[in-house]
Amino acid sequence: MSRTKVSPVPGFSFVREIGGITEYRFDKNGLRVLLVPDTSVPVVGCMVTYHVGSKNEATGYTGATHLLEHLMFKGSERFNKELGTSIEHLMESRGASINATTWFDRTNYYEVLPKDCLDLAIEIEADRMRTARILESDRQSEMPVVRNEFERGENLPMEALDKAMWAAAFTAHPYHHSTIGWRSDIEGVSIERLNQFYNDFYWPDNATATVAGHFDETKVLLKIKREFGKHTKKPDAYPMLYTTEPEQEGERRVTVERAGTDMVAIAHKIPEATHDDIPALIVLATILSDDKTSRLYKAFVDTAIATDASAQCWQFQDPSLFETFITLAPKTSHEKAEKLLKGEYQKVIDTSVSSAELKRAKQSLRAYTAAQRDGPYALLMSLNEDIATGDWARFVSLPEKIAAVTAADVRRVARTYFTDKTSTVGWFKNTAR
Amino acid sequence: MEPLTQNVTELEFSHGERVFIARTGAKNVVTMEGSVRGGWSTLPRSKAETACMAAELLDAGTLKKGKDAIREPLALRGASLSFSSGVDRTFFSGSCFPEDVSFLLSVVAECLAGASFPSAEIVRAKERALGEFAEAKTDTRRQAAGALSRLLYTSGHVNYAQTLETRAKGTRLVTRADLTSFRNTLGKDGLVLSIVGDVVPSEVHRNVERMLAKLPSKGIQDIPERHNAKVQHAEETFISIPDKANIDVYMGMSVPLTFESPEYLSFLTLGSMLGGRGLSTGHLMRTIRERDGYTYGIYSQPDGFTEHTHGMFRIWATFSPAIFEKAVAATKKEMSWFFKNGITEAALETKKDEMAGGYQVGLATTHGLASMLHKIGVEGKPLSYLDEYPSLIRTLSLKDVMNIVPLLPVSKLSLAAAGTKAV
Repeated sequence: MSRTKVSPVPGFSFVREIGGITEYRFDKNGLRVLLVPDTSVPVVGCMVTYHVGSKNEATGYTGATHLLEHLMFKGSERFNKELGTSIEHLMESRGASINATTWFDRTNYYEVLPKDCLDLAIEIEADRMRTARILESDRQSEMPVVRNEFERGENLPMEALDKAMWAAAFTAHPYHHSTIGWRSDIEGVSIERLNQFYNDFYWPDNATATVAGHFDETKVLLKIKREFGKHTKKPDAYPMLYTTEPEQEGERRVTVERAGTDMVAIAHKIPEATHDDIPALIVLATILSDDKTSRLYKAFVDTAIATDASAQCWQFQDPSLFETFITLAPKTSHEKAEKLLKGEYQKVIDTSVSSAELKRAKQSLRAYTAAQRDGPYALLMSLNEDIATGDWARFVSLPEKIAAVTAADVRRVARTYFTDKTSTVGWFKNTAR
Repeated sequence: MEPLTQNVTELEFSHGERVFIARTGAKNVVTMEGSVRGGWSTLPRSKAETACMAAELLDAGTLKKGKDAIREPLALRGASLSFSSGVDRTFFSGSCFPEDVSFLLSVVAECLAGASFPSAEIVRAKERALGEFAEAKTDTRRQAAGALSRLLYTSGHVNYAQTLETRAKGTRLVTRADLTSFRNTLGKDGLVLSIVGDVVPSEVHRNVERMLAKLPSKGIQDIPERHNAKVQHAEETFISIPDKANIDVYMGMSVPLTFESPEYLSFLTLGSMLGGRGLSTGHLMRTIRERDGYTYGIYSQPDGFTEHTHGMFRIWATFSPAIFEKAVAATKKEMSWFFKNGITEAALETKKDEMAGGYQVGLATTHGLASMLHKIGVEGKPLSYLDEYPSLIRTLSLKDVMNIVPLLPVSKLSLAAAGTKAV
């Protein structure tokens, strides 16, 4: 339920309060502030989410968002090695869990730390929002680090196949390339491009600051006002992403042949996270692969046809994919696994799902929702993904929508989206037998 | 800060069971971590796979219920439960809504006491296990970790990882009689259980008593001292796996310490100063990653410290094939430098601050607290350790940490790596 209140600190406009989360808008520069109090733990988390991700990149600088994320730890005006105030030193020496992550639609920076240290985390995030030092010397030393992160991912069959799947499924929209980027772009992107990226997107009116855990609301707002109030909103317009994916007109197929594990994957196009069909698709994914009672576990793992089976309804700001991965047991052929998997989709289309399956899926998702509030870290990481979709209130409303999903809804979305015409089939073929 | 133990109740039982119940501010979440005595070390080495397969099949049917009758009611409640096998213990881990704690405990008891291991399930479990071993053949990290253990330990030691081929052979030989016999050794003696979250301790107390009443008493076999007879000297091995963009590297040595050793906390602290995950407080991250750009990550990963067991000091890193030799040499050089020059009062004090603060952060989830309480139980520490840990860290002196250095001569560091070497 949404409540109305007045901000305890002038300069912030109360926007809404839903599910224990209060949203304010910092009038001076448009920074969105989300406060999620929980005094049951002596810990607090601070996070800034920027609405910039790998979808804002293009050929030549894929991976730039992520590489920039790494460089954002190299120092800012107030926090740097020369002053003895490096971000890592100040945070790690206080026992903070500190990191940042990048994905298609967003980049987030966070600190989870003892409650007495919150002010420092806010100072750091505010300072690097506009005064980060994005230097060529740091790019040179950090690029091989990021390249090794890329190489680690390439060692993993599922990650390699997943990249190939998205690249085949999306030909125009920038979900085509993975967040880590192509190797040659990681190696070649210029410091000028990275600085431009920073100046294009790292502004308060393109960010959400979230504080979760043990804190005093008035003190936090005052601190945010003091620190983030140093920045103006962006003086010019944000670069527009106007590319939409053309309609897919037939099944696509990709194969990755290298040493690894035999796998079969199928992806279907689905709408954006805020679409009305997403709750039913989430329930469908849960019915397919949540636990040992799920359909794919029973069809593939219980029968030893596969060692693993997983389905994922991705929830991004733009239309994305419903993906299923099957890790084959040694005696199982790709052809057999693909046929079986398509048969499982067809069963849902033909005969829907049972009421027991629906109940189990909803209970599982209810448990997942509760776990999202188990400590500041879990809350921040979950809320971050909803912020990225453009509607953070999904964090509260999605469980309610999932609770209302019917078996008929599940069948309808299966029928709508599980079509060969909009699918991409991927095989990982192990060459090291 | 308020004592953490003020919200924890420890229950005492007559067979050495230790049960911790902690009410936290978490809403609608209960996390459970538990274990009973009985792992693969209690079996002949040729039968060790029995314990792993038993854990895999504990919920696949009991004397009273089929697997669906076990799994579906759990799922209908939004509860999760999984079993796994270790050296000396069989572990279980679960979560549920507050109203289902009693139910989840009853399922744990039923599986531990009554798993029936249907023949058809055994056949399929073997096929899955063989499939996973096949996958592991091209898993660079897993291959390197296993290979290092074989360089460091005698083949009879519990920390000597069997090759995938040996494990596959052992898996094929497991029989239903083996599984039943192993399950018959699992009882409540030595059980350690932590239940954390949105709970009413008095109710959970009653639920635990009911669960324990369903578990038989099997007695506890003493765990022997498991020292490592292998003299440590530098050995290296490289496992070639084609098509790999990254090389996984483990460097390490066996150390004459167990988790019961008075020096253990100093050992962990030194390892964290050298190989902590922080870019500032981990020496190798600060140098090999931040300064040299040789890796995405290089971490200290002590392992093999089960009861009365000489564990191992390990560093795990990932390197590009093109710089593999250079990066390994730089790592060894930095380790030598660190042991000689890097252990300072200032560095130690910073590390203490980090460990104490990080401890607080880590316990702010039901899973974090449940894991810590379970660890306290398994390691035989008093509940008060939950509050004492930060002060124990604080009291470590530079001398305590320096005393560990002679146990870690870089000249005796072994190395195992897996991947594709640069041409």
